[in-house]
Amino acid sequence: MAATIDALLRSDAVHRAAYVDPGVFALEESRIFRRVWLYVAHESEVARAGDYVLRRMGPEEVVLVRREDGGLSLLYNRCAHRGARLVTEPQGSLRQFRCSYHAWTYRLDGSLAGVPLASGYAEPPSRGMARVPRLESYKGFLFGSHAAAGEGLAEFLGGLASAFDNMLDRAPAGTLTRFGGALRLEYRGNWKMFMENAVDLVHPTFVHKSSVEAARSHAEAMEADPLARQGTQMFVANGMRAQEWEAVPLRAFPQGHVYMGGFYRSGVIAPQPEDPVFERYRRLLVERHGEEKAAAVLAVDRFNNLVWPNLSVNARFAALRIVHPLAADRTVVEVQCFRLDGAPSQMHDLTLQFVNLAASPASLIASDDLEIFERCQRGLESSGEDWIDLRRGAAADWRDADGSTTSPGTSEVAIRTQFAAWRRCMSAE
Amino acid sequence: MSDELQAFVVAEARLLDERRFSDWLALFAADGAYWAPTRRAQRSPEEALSLFYETRALLEVRVARLERPDAHVQVPPARMLRHVSAIEAAPGGEGCDHEVRSSLIVAEWREGESRWFAGRVLHRLRREAAGLRIVLKRVDLISSEAPQRALAVPF
Repeated sequence: MAATIDALLRSDAVHRAAYVDPGVFALEESRIFRRVWLYVAHESEVARAGDYVLRRMGPEEVVLVRREDGGLSLLYNRCAHRGARLVTEPQGSLRQFRCSYHAWTYRLDGSLAGVPLASGYAEPPSRGMARVPRLESYKGFLFGSHAAAGEGLAEFLGGLASAFDNMLDRAPAGTLTRFGGALRLEYRGNWKMFMENAVDLVHPTFVHKSSVEAARSHAEAMEADPLARQGTQMFVANGMRAQEWEAVPLRAFPQGHVYMGGFYRSGVIAPQPEDPVFERYRRLLVERHGEEKAAAVLAVDRFNNLVWPNLSVNARFAALRIVHPLAADRTVVEVQCFRLDGAPSQMHDLTLQFVNLAASPASLIASDDLEIFERCQRGLESSGEDWIDLRRGAAADWRDADGSTTSPGTSEVAIRTQFAAWRRCMSAE
Repeated sequence: MSDELQAFVVAEARLLDERRFSDWLALFAADGAYWAPTRRAQRSPEEALSLFYETRALLEVRVARLERPDAHVQVPPARMLRHVSAIEAAPGGEGCDHEVRSSLIVAEWREGESRWFAGRVLHRLRREAAGLRIVLKRVDLISSEAPQRALAVPF
């Protein structure tokens, strides 16, 4: 199969089958999503013993549950008897798992607690719920892996761990709490398109023009409306000219991770609001970190931080987007946000507003992205031309000593880097 | 049940069906808002994320964009039909004169595919010099937490 993967990817182009072929998608499930670290949940979502959340890890549905001893179990949501799903609510609290079919029960660590009519077995059943082989926390962000062996989480996150550090540093109390539910977007397109588009800085000028122009023509009314103000900044930022995007550096790491830096520096998107609430927040941060570090924490101006294969982190607005591949041509993106514990409550309102405006399926920005993904998918289903060019900006890629690559914002370096990681995973037997 | 209130919510839905977005926007009070929460029984937009939470200024931008030829998500435009029923009116509170509750089913057809949305709607209406105006239109979809493909036109 490695030979087949090599046939799909040249140094300067990728075959359309990578996006449309169900066989390639099945291989992605087994070689990427069943092997690498995948984001599951934040520890604040399962605070007390018995708290659980139902989540998706690649092709599998899993339950994360807090045990009586304070530890966490990550289990496949499947009864060991006839295979029924054990948990059907997205979150809740329980003392034990109890199957609705024949009432097999399991302790919070997944071990078998009871079987009705056990006398019917010559040797009583002992198998419990299957455990996801690995679960690790990076400062409260919980990741799982379906593979029993492999690199540790910190090593996997590499240069992108700093995105989580920055989100935590922004919390005056030093902790984060997930809040606000979730937004869920769906598109009839391949999962990779979302990850590529999030660091494609050429498309906003064209894809988001209608929203940018509409916002510009109403700038005065929007500036006067506290709810809309933040939106104006985001819409206008999407209307930056190519030269301005050029100046937003992209940094790509060998694991496939990428972040875009320097985004707020140009002063167009969500500048630190100079209002009393923000000043109060800043002072709380200074209490925690001291002036110098607080300034440094707030100065981190990366926008999208992508953890390959399927997570996008926004530290400034304390938001995550998790990409769930459902089929070669079907993807769901879940958007979640966090309270910066200790910050004034108005900061949390701003987080919700930002995420609504930027990431809802009804967002004036995201809705056009979804439309474009669907157009790409349908276009790529055509066999008129098999190869997709990945060369833009390749000559300007600048390799750092640590193996990362820095490129101007208009480069396709992010896509090249994601495909390099893809090739590595997909070629490994 | 006042004929006037019933006629108002039916006409409001028809303006969206007919893509008369500027006329629709004119039905909102200056302090009006359109809200589609993600959570059932969500108490406020500050409690959780929302599919839509747009005050007048944001609605103006949404409408201005829908009227542009380069709003990709509406090229070609969706054809929509809203079925409004089970309309019930009550005296208002919180800065409005009337509260009208209704059931809404939206059928949408675009590029050969159909979508359906269903939910309960709350209109908070105020009587102004120019007539009835929307202080809040709240739409609680039965599928408010489900993944949605792109949404461009309010329900």
